[in-house]
Amino acid sequence: MGGLEIFIDGTIRAVEIILSGNPEIFQITLLSLRVSLTATLLGALFGIPVGYLVAIRNFPGKSLCIAVINTLMGIPPVVVGLVVYLMLSSDGPLGFLRILYTPSAMVIAQTVLTFPVTCGITISSIISLNPRLKETLVSLSAPRFWEAVILINEIRIGIITSFITAFGAAISEVGAIMMVGGNLLGYTRALTTAIVLYTNKGEFSMAIALGIILLILALFVNLTLTALQMHYRRHKG
Amino acid sequence: MAQKKYMLKGLLVLAVIATGLALPLMNTPSNVGNRLIVATTTSTADTGLLDYLKPYFDEKYSADLVWLSLGTGQAIAVAARGDCDLLLVHDREREDEFISSGNGVLRVTVMYNDFVIVGPPDDPANASGTDAIRTMRKIAESGASGGCVFVSRGDGSGTEALEKKLWESSSVCGFLLSGWYLSAGSGMAATLRVANELGAYTISDRGTFYKLKDSINESLSLVVICENDSRLLNPYGVVLINSSLYPNINSDLAQKFLLFVTSPEGQDLIGNYTVGGRQLFFPIYGQTEKIGLPREYETIAYIENLRKGG
Repeated sequence: MGGLEIFIDGTIRAVEIILSGNPEIFQITLLSLRVSLTATLLGALFGIPVGYLVAIRNFPGKSLCIAVINTLMGIPPVVVGLVVYLMLSSDGPLGFLRILYTPSAMVIAQTVLTFPVTCGITISSIISLNPRLKETLVSLSAPRFWEAVILINEIRIGIITSFITAFGAAISEVGAIMMVGGNLLGYTRALTTAIVLYTNKGEFSMAIALGIILLILALFVNLTLTALQMHYRRHKG
Repeated sequence: MAQKKYMLKGLLVLAVIATGLALPLMNTPSNVGNRLIVATTTSTADTGLLDYLKPYFDEKYSADLVWLSLGTGQAIAVAARGDCDLLLVHDREREDEFISSGNGVLRVTVMYNDFVIVGPPDDPANASGTDAIRTMRKIAESGASGGCVFVSRGDGSGTEALEKKLWESSSVCGFLLSGWYLSAGSGMAATLRVANELGAYTISDRGTFYKLKDSINESLSLVVICENDSRLLNPYGVVLINSSLYPNINSDLAQKFLLFVTSPEGQDLIGNYTVGGRQLFFPIYGQTEKIGLPREYETIAYIENLRKGG
């Protein structure tokens, strides 16, 4: 089969799988979605507060700190996978948790990947806000907490951007979840790890079909997030 | 004000999604006690052998057989950290090391197939034959004069270990830095594809080679250059991991898997597995002397004793 034929065959199979609701593929897709969405949200849960604090506080080494966070946005997933594997391994410091080769381990690894993304974008969004806004809040002597709520509300479009970027990084990565999830059939097999497996097996059209399903999935998530973003943009100011 | 309301709504939606997604992840599935994690090589996983054995084993022991498809090097490293329940690999030296270092308690040969040296159909090194040493020397000679290229797995796998042993027996050295020797750092299928693209020689287990060769998706022009040399034998061993070192492993189920693959039923299943009408693995438990390997008296006695419930 030539390259183009494999691609066409893969597309047909993707449509077949979606229409027939193949339970195995459905489960794999659901796992990918669950793991990556949870990791995106957890990354935001830690990334937004940390990013906010780094952005508004002045402390020695602030530039270095921001540079490190921005660098971590580019960390290879397989390195994250290896570090998290060594942590969660039976011999590792967190081995007692017994969560290696489980979806929870996959969420942890992907959270390590999404955290710097949300954190870094929060920092740059807060820094690029009009400095007068902060001065006004200070002059009004607003409580610290409300100051944070108001400023974070101001950067909500940036935060949605960070969700889109973080989710994109999580759903498409294979190195980290392969290491800590193990690609176990019916349990930790996600779309990307299944694509690698089918490629190794030489079942190229199946790999292409799963790739198409992954893109469709990412498209739906991004449509939702983009709609939210446009909504905020219209209602800004 | 309206803005705030939407903001709140948005946050609420996100909170709902977060809890909805996070909760099922916290629960470990009920069948976790029956899960057997086998660390194995890409050759047993990618050829579909384990997919074929899984339903038989799962039904017999109401288990859930899953596997980590790794190179033998990584598989043994994962086992040495206590992260899997059982090993099914093919690198005798490292298997024995694993046992002698106390990480493993028992190792037995369960099946074999063989390696083939493959290369481009026009065989530029004129290396074809049934003597692996001669073939390797021819490839090295021709490579040194720019006549051909050799692609190595380069991933610390059992296949690479065999390749290195063959180079050593052929007294070929200094190849690592030479231009004709490429290290792919990939699994068997990927390495075969690289060799195919480059018109190069490589060593593959017979199973993966024919699986790819017979697949309509692949246009593999590589052919077998050298086969049927006893040096190319590829025995697969099951290794039981020391449960006193790693109390968390599922040693009970690991033992059942060992008894299953060494039982007449398991051995027949292995022998009956075919891809494209071709048998890929040959059962050999208890008869290793037939392929010129030492007999494993003690291990077999131990396993048969286990089977009787002793």
